Amino acid sequence: MSATDTPTDIKSTLRGTFMRYGFLIIIALFFAFFTLYTGSFLNPSNLVNIVEGSSILLILALGMTLIVALGGIDLSVGIAFDMGAAFAIVAMKEYDIVWYLAVLIGIGGGGLVGLLNAFLVVKLSVSPFLATLGTFFIGSSIQRIFTNGGGPISHRRVDQEYRNLAVGDIYGIPTEIVIAAVVLVIYFIVLERSVFGKRIHAIGLQKKAALISGIKVNRYVAVCFILAAATCAIGGIIGSANLRMFTPLAGFSYLLDAIAAVFIGASIHPHGRPNVPGTLIGVLFLGMVANGLNLMGLDFNTKDALSGLILVGALAIAVGQKKLR
Amino acid sequence: MQNDNTSNTQALLSMEDISKTFPGVKALDAASLGVAAGEIHGLVGENGAGKSTIIKVLAGVYGRDSGTIVLDGKALADVTPHSVHEAGVRFIHQELHLVPHFTVAESVFMGQEITGPFGLDRRAMRTRTEQFLSESLHTSISGSTLIRDLGIAERKLVQIARALIDDKARLVVFDEPTAPLASGEIDQLFAAIRRLKERGIAIIYVSHYLGEITELCDRVTVFRNGVDVAVLDHVDSHSADTIIEHMVGRELEALYPGKSHRIGDTLLDISQLSDGSRFRDVDLCVRRGEIVGVAGLIGSGREELTDTIYGLRQATSGTVTFDGDAINLKAPWAAVQKGIVLVPRDRRHDGLILDMTVGDNINLASLDEVASFRIENREKAARRAEALSDKIDIRPRRVEAVTRFLSGGNQQKVVLARWLATGSKLFILDEPTVGVDIGAKVEIYQLIEDLAKEGAGVLVSSSDPAELLGLCDRIIILMRGRVVEDRPAAELTIDSLLALTTGGHVKAASA
Repeated sequence: MSATDTPTDIKSTLRGTFMRYGFLIIIALFFAFFTLYTGSFLNPSNLVNIVEGSSILLILALGMTLIVALGGIDLSVGIAFDMGAAFAIVAMKEYDIVWYLAVLIGIGGGGLVGLLNAFLVVKLSVSPFLATLGTFFIGSSIQRIFTNGGGPISHRRVDQEYRNLAVGDIYGIPTEIVIAAVVLVIYFIVLERSVFGKRIHAIGLQKKAALISGIKVNRYVAVCFILAAATCAIGGIIGSANLRMFTPLAGFSYLLDAIAAVFIGASIHPHGRPNVPGTLIGVLFLGMVANGLNLMGLDFNTKDALSGLILVGALAIAVGQKKLR
Repeated sequence: MQNDNTSNTQALLSMEDISKTFPGVKALDAASLGVAAGEIHGLVGENGAGKSTIIKVLAGVYGRDSGTIVLDGKALADVTPHSVHEAGVRFIHQELHLVPHFTVAESVFMGQEITGPFGLDRRAMRTRTEQFLSESLHTSISGSTLIRDLGIAERKLVQIARALIDDKARLVVFDEPTAPLASGEIDQLFAAIRRLKERGIAIIYVSHYLGEITELCDRVTVFRNGVDVAVLDHVDSHSADTIIEHMVGRELEALYPGKSHRIGDTLLDISQLSDGSRFRDVDLCVRRGEIVGVAGLIGSGREELTDTIYGLRQATSGTVTFDGDAINLKAPWAAVQKGIVLVPRDRRHDGLILDMTVGDNINLASLDEVASFRIENREKAARRAEALSDKIDIRPRRVEAVTRFLSGGNQQKVVLARWLATGSKLFILDEPTVGVDIGAKVEIYQLIEDLAKEGAGVLVSSSDPAELLGLCDRIIILMRGRVVEDRPAAELTIDSLLALTTGGHVKAASA
């Protein structure tokens, strides 16, 4: 008995190690692969491109992380993104409001989306999935109504400072990256180090037990939805600064990537929990794959299929990891 | 009767010197277990004593590090779930694993269907099922009844039929089979188990409930710390004390700490409280330093009453006065702020965040105390959790362990520890010792007594009459949502308490 036990133990330990770090190993393999097969992948400017191109997604994915950690999901992150852009651009264009106030108004506009979600989830007890899906439909429709079917609202003479949120740099680092990094650090502290975050994780793991332990569950759920939406609005503001216009429904394209990043992050967590460092890895992974496949000159349509395959592979690892325990 | 000389009958199963080590834990240390043909053999021990490990070794779920297993005179070298099944060993697990919308016959034959020339032979399966149920288990359940229409006890019988229908069983292991059953249903199950014994099948009966063990079993093996510390060859109703002493490894003077607390002025005063559905016009009073019991059957409104006091449910009429103020609690957090805390009956679902650490669970209600500027101070959090674990004697003290893997007793202590240092004035304890081993039970009772001594009010809701009588100063009895009795515990006996909860008449007190 004991003779047969030992080798399997070693084997399972090895397998466990691979499963645990499998995703990071895969990232390293892809990194090496892209470096070898494309001439320019490892160029510093390309690496900066990847990070900069991932900034907005990271901001939205962090908002999503908050909601998934709470045990829900937010399908309306794109709407909050759009509202952030719309409120800021309209404030500057129509009301001639100074750029930094417009930023605050944009964040507030995104927050309204979260407020609606919070109302639906907390007061009307609609499940987060359906509540945010409803918000998504309503928000999409409102945008079309106010833009006569989805025409962009352009504001070419926007303040340069506003423009710089997307195209400027701070000590040589693109402003976009700096903003995303600040949001990242705040989210890390809030979700992984603060008392607030511990309570959010408790609610996400076992809501009733959290309630009985005296946590104000409803208040936390409401605050999280508002906070997440306001965060997504920051992404929308950067997006509108880049193009100097509000493009209706532009936020939708981030939704699935944000969900993917959060769940990639959860799958590499030892206890399968959504977490801030994991989300960062998920976002950078998605950015790296997109960029690498691009540089390889792959057809647009093939690219999506490959991204999908890579993602499914990652999820398979996550399931394998769960089975081992 | 038949078991007068069981020790002479041939051993059916003999597990000798079984050892099993998990990382960091020696779960079995040269433990042995012997079962004779045709006997009901009890297996008892506290949580973590090794009884479920040795059962899993027998089942082939865990490999053993050393030791021999002899079944029916043949040494089993390679023990796998399949080989054990072939050898005629069956396991009746605690969980039912039956599909609600399958019929009884389909459930019994699932995975071992009888097929005829035209596929499944449903008629044969139904006939065979009904025949087995009536002949072997003395029960008449139609084979075409849906599982969801059966009571829990009947489902248990279906589960047994499923394991035994092939008539090849020699040894059946029951793992805590009565946990979900009501007392009448337990009798039904016991009758079925005795019937199996008459047919020459040996039974291993694993249970926490010593009353069941002494009633049902011919012999008992007691486990402690991974070893079989005692085998009792004769078991009768007086064996429980001996078994407990072997289980805890020391003489057990008394289960209950004695009531030396002093009762003060009124803390909680409930008047004419109704929730519109489950209880009506409840009057209840708890004073400082007093332990008040709530007795009542399932459906008596007992659970709903304590939930309502804690703010988990809302009352429709009546008044609640706490600490001199009229209160109307909208949610548990409001109760906690006032100093009212709840230890819920379902600690795994409602009491603990199972995937968080022991430390996190202990600090969950007082996170602000271990934080500076809203950021958790891990050092401070660990120290606070360790201090509270020591105070409440959580063994081993590992505040970084994930709570899911603790024993029932330790889990309950974690929930209690959470509320100890929050300055709580009223403790509502709902089934505080369900699924907790004897050793931890005694410690929890002592803790409850200590709370009262320190001046807290305690409201204990329990389905165990002995527990209520042993702990409480006063007991209120609920029946169908109404208070039918509010009496000092000293005036009640187990019999009179049971009679009052069921609506029967109290037998004329003989003493």
